[in-house]
This record gives sequence, structure tokens and C-alpha cells, in this order.
Amino acid sequence: MDITSLFAQFLSGLTYGTILFLVAAGLSLIFGVMNILNFAHAALWLMGAYFSWTFWSLMQGNSFAFWLSIPLAGFAAAAVGWLIEVVLIKRIYKRELYEQLLITYSLALILSDTIKLTWGVTNKLVVRPEMIQKPVFIFGAPLDSYFLFVIAAGAVVATGLWWFLKYTRYGHIVKAAVFSREMVGALGIPIPRIFTWVFTLGIFLAGFAGGIQVPIGSVTLGMDTAIIIQAFCVVVIGGFGSLLGTLVGSLIVGEVMSFTILFWPEGAMVLIFIITAAILIVRPWGLFGTPMRT
Amino acid sequence: MKNRYLFAVILFLLAIVLPFVVTEFWVHVLTEILILALFAASFNMIFGYMGQLSFGHAAYYGVGAYTTGLLMVKANVPMLVCLPLSMFSAGLCAAVLGYFCVKLRGIYFAILTMAFGQLVYYIIFQWYSFTGGDNGLQGIVPPDFLGRAANPYYFFTLIVVTVGLIALWIISESPFGYTMRAIRDNAERTEFIGINVQRYMHLNFIIAAVFAGLAGALWGPFNRSVAPDLTNWQHSGMPVFMTVIGGPFSFLGPLFGSAIYTFLMALVTSFTEYWPLVSGVIIILVVLLMPGGLLGLLNEKFPSLMRKVTGAGETNGQGRQEL
Repeated sequence: MDITSLFAQFLSGLTYGTILFLVAAGLSLIFGVMNILNFAHAALWLMGAYFSWTFWSLMQGNSFAFWLSIPLAGFAAAAVGWLIEVVLIKRIYKRELYEQLLITYSLALILSDTIKLTWGVTNKLVVRPEMIQKPVFIFGAPLDSYFLFVIAAGAVVATGLWWFLKYTRYGHIVKAAVFSREMVGALGIPIPRIFTWVFTLGIFLAGFAGGIQVPIGSVTLGMDTAIIIQAFCVVVIGGFGSLLGTLVGSLIVGEVMSFTILFWPEGAMVLIFIITAAILIVRPWGLFGTPMRT
Repeated sequence: MKNRYLFAVILFLLAIVLPFVVTEFWVHVLTEILILALFAASFNMIFGYMGQLSFGHAAYYGVGAYTTGLLMVKANVPMLVCLPLSMFSAGLCAAVLGYFCVKLRGIYFAILTMAFGQLVYYIIFQWYSFTGGDNGLQGIVPPDFLGRAANPYYFFTLIVVTVGLIALWIISESPFGYTMRAIRDNAERTEFIGINVQRYMHLNFIIAAVFAGLAGALWGPFNRSVAPDLTNWQHSGMPVFMTVIGGPFSFLGPLFGSAIYTFLMALVTSFTEYWPLVSGVIIILVVLLMPGGLLGLLNEKFPSLMRKVTGAGETNGQGRQEL
């Protein structure tokens, strides 16, 4: 195996890791702050992908349609997420763990069927602008030029979230809430409102990631059930509520998948679950998470 | 105490009479209800009695189903021999995986059981030469003495499931069962009175898997085939749904849940493909409006009627999250 093809494999792992990061970042944020494991996250991600396709079709012909449809998908998904939070999730803050899991699980079922009802069963495809139709070569390794955009978008989201958590007042509140919601509430910060916005932000990220996914291949039903479990793995490996953890976790999963496929294609997913289980057994709070939670 | 089993006896008699009054389609549905009832009841050993949510219970159900399927298709082993072997293989699987699961609690327990469940799923899914991969195994036919009609297999299932449920009932009412309740309500105190909590939980996990394996073993010959989907996380959600619909704090809850869920599924899927949507709405309504499930609701409205149907009993809400 020569170095160029290894590098190509690395790049493909990096791309897949970036996609996983975009999906898992919102999941991790929501779990870290609200302690709710959102099974519906990938369904909202898929909904974002369909939204993106719809916006693209509506604006077809405009040169900016392709690029604009991606953030718009994020906002459309965020609107749905906000509605879900206000109508449903708000009622289950104080419920038992299994009830919260069941609610988000049921939401995933409902949203998947809603997608089917709204957009039908045919695959959706967008036509890429000319500038990203040809592959680029990096050190001789071919790379889909759109993947450069994906990796850049991942980097921007990671930096943006990092900046938000480190330098803004709301970021500080969110970080504090990951440690102790009770204490944050006792300081007079309206926790329910923070929850609503964290959930909305998380779903915005999911919808944005869905929009980014569309040009990679066609959008099909059922994509959500495949990716949600991998996103869970990412969050478990990295640690719930940790941005750095999610980043590292998604790169680990992306690269492990990418390189295992080279020599043991059947074992790629098996290996991911072994890593996830091992992390859970040794360090349940993940590589970069914090064990102290109230 | 005399009336305690009256309810169960009525249910059993009903189960004997029903196949003679309904059409063959509904006999198949009844068989499915019984198999899934055993599956859900075994899941409730972990959930209702031990207080932990397993989101990977289908793994043991699937291991049981594949053990019987493989032995019957590849080695022509008689089905009656396969059933105990399925229980054994599911138990063995749980002995290994459960050892790690019981070290964790709450959400981590749920995720680890799910991760192990997916691990089993992908192994079965990818191992084409042995398990048939995503094609599954076909041609698992019930033994000749049961014939090809729906009724004999139904009664065979009824006998096996009844024996399984009685065994689970005896376990849950034994000192061991009460130890599980103690662990659920306060694991720390239970540890202090000298009980090895982890070992007890491990044993309970194995017991639950053994009966899930038995339920799985019944599935293959009933359906004439097994598929890897039997082990994935969506399938692991089914016993959770059933138990929550029926009522997790009662032994019969999962049975009622299985009856309601499977009946509705058969009914709804006959005229629409949007069963996931319907089931999602049902679950959300159940969780929001009747948190104790059907039996919990009956218990609240007619306490005198329900006293006879005892079971796990209400939990004190350990694991409830503080906001």
C-alpha cells in the first residue's frame, strides 16, 4: 500500500468524521445540558437534508441556490426543533430516564414517517455547481472537491461553537449547566428558557449537517437510522457535553471506519461498537467528558 | 391469596378458547402476541424488577432465534432439543456481555446494552458464511407433529410461553426477586446489608436473557425464517414499548402490552404503511397521559380489582432526574 492511497483513505475518513461531528455536536450539546438522549436527532438531520433539497429546488437557476439552501435547512430544522421542544420536550424534563428516551424514540418514528409523507419515497438529488464537480488532487490523492467545503464547514462550526462556549455569556451558562443545572438555576438563570435555546441550537446544527449531506449523494429514507447509532458512538467516545470530545470522537470513528474498510470491511462497524463499549466500561463519561454530573 | 391467580387462570382459559373462534390470521397474531409477551416479560426482569433500562435486549432474543434456526437448518436438530440450547446460548452471551453492563447504571447501562446489541447485530449481519448475513435463514419449519396449520403451533407456543412465564413469576416472587426490588429501590443500602449487588444484577441479566432466548427460539419456526433485524436496536425498542404500554410495575403488564401492541400493529398495518407514525403517537400519549401503563391506570381507578394482580410494585422513583 503506497502512501498516496493511505492519504486518500485518511482524507475520506476525515470527511466522514466531519459529517459525524456535525451531527453529533448537537446531540452532545443537548445531552450535556439537558440530560436528554435525543433519538430524534438523526430524523431531524434527515429532515434538514430534505429541507435543503426543497429550498434548492425552489431557488433553482440562481447561482447562490446551492450554497444558500444549506444554512436555510438549518434554520428550517431549528424551527421544527423549537416547536418540538416547546410542545413536547418541556413536559418531560422531570420525568424518568426511560420516559424521556421513549418520547424522543417515538419522535424519531413520527418524524421519519412525516418525512415519508411530505417528500415521498423517491430519492432526492441536487445538481452541484460547476466549480465543485471535478475532484481536486492533494499530494496526488484525489478528493471530491465538495469534501473540502465539508471539512471547512466542520472547522467553522467547531470554531464557532468553541468561541460561543468560551467567550459569550450564554456560552458560559451552557457550560455551567453541563456541570450543574441545579446550581445554574439557583443563581437565577431561567433554566427552561436556556433548555429551549440549547435544543433549538442543537437541532439547527443537525439541520445544517443534513443540508451539507445532500450534495454528497442522494437523500434517501432510512439514512437517519444508520447514522444515529454512529452519532451515539461518537458522543459516548468523546464524552457527553464536551465539544472537544465530540470532535475527537468523530475523527476516531471516521478514521477507524475508513482504515478498517481497507483490510477488514466486514469488521468496520463491529470495531466501532467494541471501541464504544470499551470506553463505556472503562470511562463511562467518555474521553473528554466530566464524571461529575448532578 | 386464593384469588391471586384467578386473573391469570382466566387469561389462560381465554388463550385456549380464542383460537377456535377467530380466523387463521388472528391465530398467527395470537402466536406472535405470546412470543413477544415472553420477550417483554423477560425484558421486564431487568426493567421493572431491577430498575435498569436495557436497550439491547433483542440481542439475546436474536441469539436464541439464530441458535434454533441454525441448528434446525444446518444440523437437522429437533426443535424440542433446540429450545433449551437457545436458552443456553442466549444465557452464555448474556453472561459475557452482562458482566460489563451491570457495572453501569442509568443512561450508561442503556447505552452499553444498546452498543452490545448493535455489536451482536453487526456480527450476525456481516457473517455471511455462517448466519446468511442480511438474507437471514430460510426454511425453518416446525416439527412434523405440529403439522402446517396455525393452531397446533399456537398451542405449542402457549405451553412453552406459559411454562416460561410461570418460571419467571416464581423467580420474581422468590427471595431473589425481592432482592432485585431492593436493588432497584436502593442499591447502596442493599450493598450495605451484605448483598453483592453486581453479582445479583448479573445473574438477573442472565435469567432475563435466557427467557428472551426462549422467546426468540419460538420465533424462527413460527415465521419460517430468521433475519438479523431481530437483533437490532429498533427491535430492542419493542419490549420497552410493550412494557410501558402494559405497565412496568406489574408482572402481567408486559403481557397486556404485548397483546395491545401486537394487536394494534396487525390491525394498523393491514390498511396503512405508517405504523411507525401511529405507534409513535401511541407511545407519546401513553407516556404523557398514563405513566404507569394500562395496569397502572387500572390500579389507580379500581384499586380493589387490581390488588389481586400483584407484581413488581411501584418504585420509589430511584433514577428520577433532578432538574
